[in-house]
Amino acid sequence: MAKPRPVKGIQPSRRLRPNARKILAVRIDEIYQYDGLVGDPRNITELHDMRIAFKRLRYLLEIFGEAFTHDLGPFLDEVKRLQDLLGDIHDCDVQVPMLVAHLAWLEAQESQSVTAMLLRRQRTSLSDDSDAALAEFTSRLNAARRADERPGIHTLIAQRRSARIALYEQFTAQWRRLKHERFRHRLETALGIASS
Amino acid sequence: MAQPWTVNGLTPDAVFRSAAGRIILTRWREMMSYQEGTLAGTDIEELHAMRVSSRRLRAAMDAFADAFPPREFRRYLRQVKRITDTLGDARDLDVTIAHLDALLVDLTSIDRPGVIGLISRYQAQREIETTHIASLFAQLENDGFSTQFEKWITQHTGIKIAKLRPAPPETP
Repeated sequence: MAKPRPVKGIQPSRRLRPNARKILAVRIDEIYQYDGLVGDPRNITELHDMRIAFKRLRYLLEIFGEAFTHDLGPFLDEVKRLQDLLGDIHDCDVQVPMLVAHLAWLEAQESQSVTAMLLRRQRTSLSDDSDAALAEFTSRLNAARRADERPGIHTLIAQRRSARIALYEQFTAQWRRLKHERFRHRLETALGIASS
Repeated sequence: MAQPWTVNGLTPDAVFRSAAGRIILTRWREMMSYQEGTLAGTDIEELHAMRVSSRRLRAAMDAFADAFPPREFRRYLRQVKRITDTLGDARDLDVTIAHLDALLVDLTSIDRPGVIGLISRYQAQREIETTHIASLFAQLENDGFSTQFEKWITQHTGIKIAKLRPAPPETP
């Protein structure tokens, strides 16, 4: 996770507003530094870092809102929307490897169970009737296996991958819209930090 | 989601340092108001509310870091971060379990056993998180962290908790 950039020139004994402007200016800039990087859906780390940057800005707008006369509510809604979308993308990026790891865990559990069953089989006798013995063995083997748990996990993985594609498309559309609507300029103007 | 508590006495022309004291102390008390419900564990929304409050507190501490001596600040922030992270681990499992539970209805009989198995694995992990939360709060209690933290904030911002009187928003 990218650390927040230090903010220079904070004077704790001065009013909240001028200090808040300095902090917010840096945090807004941090979001836009990812602009060129999040155009590639494979940039998982940059997408995650941009989410954190949005989260920091959101909380700061809530915290410092009292110091500004302009209604920051609509800006907060936009920031929250992007943060949530990036959060959902991040959830997919985390969950897919976790589900893949769960499949490996199931396999290990299954292997242990089958080994234990075979060891028990050596110590106990089966029926003399070969058909009955085979049925009994198959029943014990199936009880020890966890193969029936795999399809559901594969389905979850497929769902998450598909959701990730759709979420990323939504994110890029929203991000393009914000830039088209000059969100940064409007926000900086509302906060009194616009340079032009 | 639980509404944030109103920060008493915070005005547009507030001084940075005193705003820091008002906001951080209010968020601290807000967060701790959910401790009992979180430890009881009967309603997962209590833990959720506590986690949300802890994130607001952490964000406030980050925002006002310059009002405090850096070394001590880092120590207190580390503890607050520990609370947020511990609650976060449990909350993530609560959300995942609820999400998987909701999925079960629409799943085919072929897919259901896997998801049921995954839910039970996460539930076992969630039990472990419950013990982590309990031991974290027991340690904070033993260390007298709450008193120390509030005193420290007062020392550097001039805001006293008795005068600030943070309280939950009145329900209509």
